[in-house]
Amino acid sequence: MMHSSRLTRRSVIKGGLGLALATTALTTLGLPMPAKAAGKKVIIGAFADGGLTPFKEKIIPLAKEQGFDIQFLEDEYGVTLEKWFADAQSGAGQYDLYLLDDPWVPQFGAANVLEDLGAGGIDGSDKDWIGSMIDMGYWPPQKGPRVKGFENAKPTLICVPFVGDLQTLTYRNDVFTGGAPKTWDEVIAKGKEGVAAGKIKYPVVFRGVSGNPIVTSWYPVFLSFGGSFFDDKWNPIFNSAEGKASAEFFVGTMKQNAPSGVVEFDSDQEGAAILGGDAGAIIQYSGNALKADDPAQTKVAGKLDFGVVPKQQSAIAQMGIFIAGVPKSAPNKANSIEFLKWYVSAETQAKLSEAGSIPVKRSAFGIAKPGNRLIPVALQQLDAGALPRPRTPDWAKVEELLGIELNKALQAGSGGGAALDTAAKQVKDYLTTAGYY
Amino acid sequence: MNTRLARILTTIFVLAVVLLPIYWLVSTSLKSNREITQEGTLYPHVPTLDNYVRLFTEKQFGSYLTNSLVVTFFSVSIALAVGAAGAYAIARFRLPFAAERKVGLFLLTLRIIPPVVILIPVYLLMLSLGLLDSWLGLIATYTAFNVTFCVWMMESFFREIPVDLEEAAMVDGDSRFGAFRRITLPLAAPGLAATAIFAVLVTFNEFLFALALTATPRAMTMPRGTATLIGRIDTDWASMSAAGVIGALPIVFFALLVQRHLVRGLTMGAVK
Amino acid sequence: MRNGMQASKYRLQGAGLDLALPYLMLAPGLTIVLGVLVYPLWDGLRASTKAYRYGSPVADVGLQNYVRLWSDAQFLNSLWVTVRFVALSVSIEAVLGFALALFCLHEFRGIRLLRTVLIIPMVITPVVVAIVFRLIYASDAGMLTALSAAMGGGAVQILGDPLKAFIGLVALDVWEWTPLMFLILLAGLQSLPHEPFEAARVDGAGAWRVFVDLTFPMMRPVLAIAIVLRTIDAFGTFDQVFVLTRGGPGEATRLISIYGYDTAFKFQQTGYAAALFVTIGLVVLALAFSAIRLLRRIDAS
Repeated sequence: MMHSSRLTRRSVIKGGLGLALATTALTTLGLPMPAKAAGKKVIIGAFADGGLTPFKEKIIPLAKEQGFDIQFLEDEYGVTLEKWFADAQSGAGQYDLYLLDDPWVPQFGAANVLEDLGAGGIDGSDKDWIGSMIDMGYWPPQKGPRVKGFENAKPTLICVPFVGDLQTLTYRNDVFTGGAPKTWDEVIAKGKEGVAAGKIKYPVVFRGVSGNPIVTSWYPVFLSFGGSFFDDKWNPIFNSAEGKASAEFFVGTMKQNAPSGVVEFDSDQEGAAILGGDAGAIIQYSGNALKADDPAQTKVAGKLDFGVVPKQQSAIAQMGIFIAGVPKSAPNKANSIEFLKWYVSAETQAKLSEAGSIPVKRSAFGIAKPGNRLIPVALQQLDAGALPRPRTPDWAKVEELLGIELNKALQAGSGGGAALDTAAKQVKDYLTTAGYY
Repeated sequence: MNTRLARILTTIFVLAVVLLPIYWLVSTSLKSNREITQEGTLYPHVPTLDNYVRLFTEKQFGSYLTNSLVVTFFSVSIALAVGAAGAYAIARFRLPFAAERKVGLFLLTLRIIPPVVILIPVYLLMLSLGLLDSWLGLIATYTAFNVTFCVWMMESFFREIPVDLEEAAMVDGDSRFGAFRRITLPLAAPGLAATAIFAVLVTFNEFLFALALTATPRAMTMPRGTATLIGRIDTDWASMSAAGVIGALPIVFFALLVQRHLVRGLTMGAVK
Repeated sequence: MRNGMQASKYRLQGAGLDLALPYLMLAPGLTIVLGVLVYPLWDGLRASTKAYRYGSPVADVGLQNYVRLWSDAQFLNSLWVTVRFVALSVSIEAVLGFALALFCLHEFRGIRLLRTVLIIPMVITPVVVAIVFRLIYASDAGMLTALSAAMGGGAVQILGDPLKAFIGLVALDVWEWTPLMFLILLAGLQSLPHEPFEAARVDGAGAWRVFVDLTFPMMRPVLAIAIVLRTIDAFGTFDQVFVLTRGGPGEATRLISIYGYDTAFKFQQTGYAAALFVTIGLVVLALAFSAIRLLRRIDAS
């Protein structure tokens, strides 16, 4: 008995030592050379997204030259909202700056956890801002319906646009030879011709996965058909005649002219379809659009062009920018605001534009050499019309409810209107429990 | 002969089912992202260790490993010590109102409740104590979890040891605690080892609370760190798979080394 | 705890340190557990009686949150998904585990290797297991697609299809936990007395007869315990689903743990989520205790 217990302990100790040695070896590999820099520390939280790559690669080094010591904490999208909101709301002070997805601003605003950047010295009324972008930084919003409890509050600038992004049309110029298709009918018609000619397999591709993906794909269609999501009193009106028409078009015609697996597609698959040459047109954010010219990422380099989204009644795209906020509990608050001031200056924005990201100041769009040919098109789309998602803290839940119903209809290939009705009722019920009316 | 063949085939089949996914993980981790998404090769045509290097130079995996090691070591040691003491008390003493049995049952109940139930309150507790994103916060949480089942497991190990040996020692002049230390503990060593191994496994692999309680590489553990790469947009398959390999390596290595005791611990609860 | 050698207990006696010893030995453990587990549990109970807006409590609503749960379609759906998941996974694991245990009952070449390899799936970090399976199922970069392409087929869609994603999740769980069932059942088989089986062999009974009349009945207690343990753990499955599908597509794999997490953290309904978790905790406890009672009855027979 004694023997075996000694052996036992020895083998466990051996195991433990071996483990410790192995991991120490691995760890020393990862220990960075301690930075002697006594820079101004700024802890930035961001979610992994290709749209931030130019910022990471080109702007952070510039910030370091300015004396900022940037700690860039990247995490997966599905985790960041919860993490950052918990951090801000509990005052935990783990971040100095969040690079939020703009639909999150109302939630942070309503909880009153972000610094007043206007008071901090950032001028929100500067004409150089892209109007629709800077509007998103105010809570409560300067225009449009306000959530209950905030009707009389003074709009405060709690976030500033960080990297612009919005949907534009990417299309095959060998199929749509006359330039970007102007209407949805043209997209389908010319797309079918392209299929017949063997140039593409499907006129369109989009994301069908339930939740944010499908709602984002449907939204520009909805807007272009003339739909409105909520009325002034937050009643859901997306199941209006126009809304239903857009939903029927989406789950019917569009699905029939898209790859068969589209109901399961997310960004990766829809990107693969357009970059691989199978699809004729796609409405997408810049992340995948930016891959269009890289022969290493696409099989049809040179055949993809960008344009304004097609219209039914109007040609409105959805906006979804990276927008930055500073939590009240930020450990290095002054540094953070100083960094933001430097970052949103026209000069830095011009550099961002050179690096290939969509900037947030108008002057930066007009530079001589934008890093990417999408940038001028983005400005065109902005001027043609680009709307953010409704400014409500409960958008996440609303989007989820709508996404579930839309996805079901998409799977069935019909019933878009009915799906909207069901979703509208669910949204109404949910908002009632949340005290909206 | 027929059964021999059937045996061999079954063994191969089972081995394949277990090892094929692991092969795929490792092979993907040695490819570049381009090869993974564009070519879909069955084995790395252009093998590269880049993904692994990047994990440590860009993605902070060294920190995650260190944090996991430290947190696991302390949570398990403290829980073992505290749990052994508590288990001994429950196994050996008859307290008024059968208190010791009630305590045992209480701890068992806590073990059964899915941890997710107390996720938010624990988060708020750690917040109010200023222990978010810290080793201490994680250690406190994990130790508490481990104590519940350490007591449960070790109680039966202690019960197996005859009282007479302790009493003999006490007759010879030892105090009760001394007898515990000098006689009982060594005899229970295999059980302790099994419990320790089980605790290491559970603690190292824990994800949910690491997700809620940490935010920066200062305290993020391996599983939490690995999760930063699971993105569904522009998935970085290469890094993700390398992270998977690195994440699994320590614990698999450890488990294989201490197999025997691991098996003993896992089956002990069921077969008594 | 049915051991032939049941060590007797000390009654409290002696004086001074000896008298206090059991309390001293229990104290540290109890303190930690009370502080870090029980207090938050109590806190959670209190939170479940409040309504939260934007992360802060705004009103006391008593048991309303609990009542609301049962008319919440998404909660009920996640409950149903969880029950289906647990039932399917655990039963497959039990059957496969039993089969494997029977297979490994007698020594043969390669059994050592097999047993060693079988440990791997259940010790790998669940997050990594999910990564492994994402790499298998992914429609663009996955193993199934690669195999299909090598044979001339097209991309294989798993994670985007609700049914296939669910089956894929079950497959993951089976891959990960069958080894545990295997180990427990093997230990159980090895602890069975030899005589009845000797007698049966002498009598010339066939393998199937032996199994139905001897093996299975004798293994019932162990099987029951293994199933109960595994079921309790399966209810709390979170990590793997979080990484594999995050509950999607739609609600196809949204287990109760994921829905609770989303409700608390994504939709900021802290009080409602607390009520959800308390309910689930009670359900699991009820399951566990009735299972233990059932086990006692099986054991006694």
